[in-house]
Amino acid sequence: MVRRALPFIKTTILLAFIVFACLPLVQMTIISFVATLPRPDTAVGSLTLGNYANILNDPNLRSAFGNSVAYVLINICITIPVAIPAAYAFSRMSFLGDKHLFFAFIAFRITPPVVLTLPVFQLFSALGISNSVFGIALAHCLFNLPISIWILQSFISAIPKELDETAFLDGYSKPRFIWTFLLPQIAPGIAVTAFFCFMFSWVEVVFARILTTTNGKPISMAINALFGFQTDIGLVMAVTLASMIPGAVLVFSMRHHLSRGFKLGRI
Amino acid sequence: MKDHSNTGWIFVLPAALLLGLVGVIPLVTVINYSFFEIFILDQRFWVGTEWYGDIIRSGRFWSSFGRSALFSALVLCIQIPLGIAIALCIPRNQFWVGLALAGIALPLLVPWNMIPSLWLSLLNPGTGILGRIMADYGWTTDWKLSAVQTWAVLLAMDTWHWTSLVVILCYSALTTIPSAYYQAANIDGAGPWQVFRHIQLPKLQHVLLMAVLLRFMDSFMIYTEAFPINAGGPDGATMFLAVDLGEDIKAFNYGPSAARSVLYFLIVLTVAWVFMKRQNQIDAPETREGH
Repeated sequence: MVRRALPFIKTTILLAFIVFACLPLVQMTIISFVATLPRPDTAVGSLTLGNYANILNDPNLRSAFGNSVAYVLINICITIPVAIPAAYAFSRMSFLGDKHLFFAFIAFRITPPVVLTLPVFQLFSALGISNSVFGIALAHCLFNLPISIWILQSFISAIPKELDETAFLDGYSKPRFIWTFLLPQIAPGIAVTAFFCFMFSWVEVVFARILTTTNGKPISMAINALFGFQTDIGLVMAVTLASMIPGAVLVFSMRHHLSRGFKLGRI
Repeated sequence: MKDHSNTGWIFVLPAALLLGLVGVIPLVTVINYSFFEIFILDQRFWVGTEWYGDIIRSGRFWSSFGRSALFSALVLCIQIPLGIAIALCIPRNQFWVGLALAGIALPLLVPWNMIPSLWLSLLNPGTGILGRIMADYGWTTDWKLSAVQTWAVLLAMDTWHWTSLVVILCYSALTTIPSAYYQAANIDGAGPWQVFRHIQLPKLQHVLLMAVLLRFMDSFMIYTEAFPINAGGPDGATMFLAVDLGEDIKAFNYGPSAARSVLYFLIVLTVAWVFMKRQNQIDAPETREGH
């Protein structure tokens, strides 16, 4: 009896959760299509596309989208090439202090950014990379690099060691082996890792706030700047919704990689 | 088996250097500041462990600590079982998996500073969907005046925001279970609970450990999302640890904020250490079986 009803119960629970997950987003979408500040051509409360038109008309918001895309891409381009050899080492070799090093990486992953904001700001100012997308990209490595190593090493560990050994017998060096054989094998892993980097980096605000006081503001900070004496909440919601579109597209195109399963495990 | 080879260091060196730059150098700076009274950065006076003493002795620190610990405990008790349950409910059909995962992941894509605004507008009694439903049922009391209700809103918000991460991690582990296991269980006549207990749960261990670690630390140090909901109120009932630190930093109290940062980092280290111990415990029986 229970067993026959199980698929039905499962579907109901899943749908209920998805409704819960979408409820605030539905609210956001509704408000984003409503005029919330009086304007000459539209009455407050009427349906309008004006909020979206305002995004396109506002140069600050346009450049904020550019900045967000830029720093996330730079972050991925720094994180992944650095993480792949490290993940390979953690997966295949045991070396002096490997456990301790991984412990340190994990500790930095879970360090709240607010703990390090002040010195990171000073350091990056001294290096001349504050108020730039490069600065945010670098700061976000603090949490993206450890998680990338963790994900990538799971993918590498899933590949049989015979592949390495055959390649070494054929005279390949370790770096050349990684480049020619390993990378094509772990391509889905790199995609999943890049997705996680995007997800944690795109929405982060603590480093983004402290590192962009004058310039290089990402979307989240541009939204913050919209709050004021008279907040156009419709515009705020429209910008938020627009900011989610790249991520949603990415999730949707990644869904097969995510659903085919990726083994995440121990170091 | 892994090769014993210290050339591994060459491979991890770039990662270690990068984290040295963005992690270790700022951390050392913070530790250094925590022993000084600093008005402007060129003028500083050695005060020893005075800031630490002030924080440890203040009742405010310990009450924030207690609130954060309670919040984390509640978050874990809700989100981890819920995350596992949802992951188990995701269908096996490829098409629906994609859609379900995409729908579930949406809350993770909202900029963190917008999450309080979304929930405040959702609960707005005049215009919000939930707010109007509650008003229709005659529930018009202002939840901001009640500590319990503010906590409930915070927990609902955090559950909404982060359960998806637990679901995605758990689902990824569940898909690695070979279908032969399920067939064998079916032949043996195992019920859904036995399948979960003896096949699915063991596969989830490592991922769950990581999920617990991430969720514990992020909720323990919740900062961006918690404060705007009710400004730490009512009556300081939702003042969490990171809020105090954020206020010190905003006021440019270099010394006290640095001491606070170091204390928080010590908490992080302890948690990471427990995590590693637990991971080694899980690994121990596996390696025995392997030999």
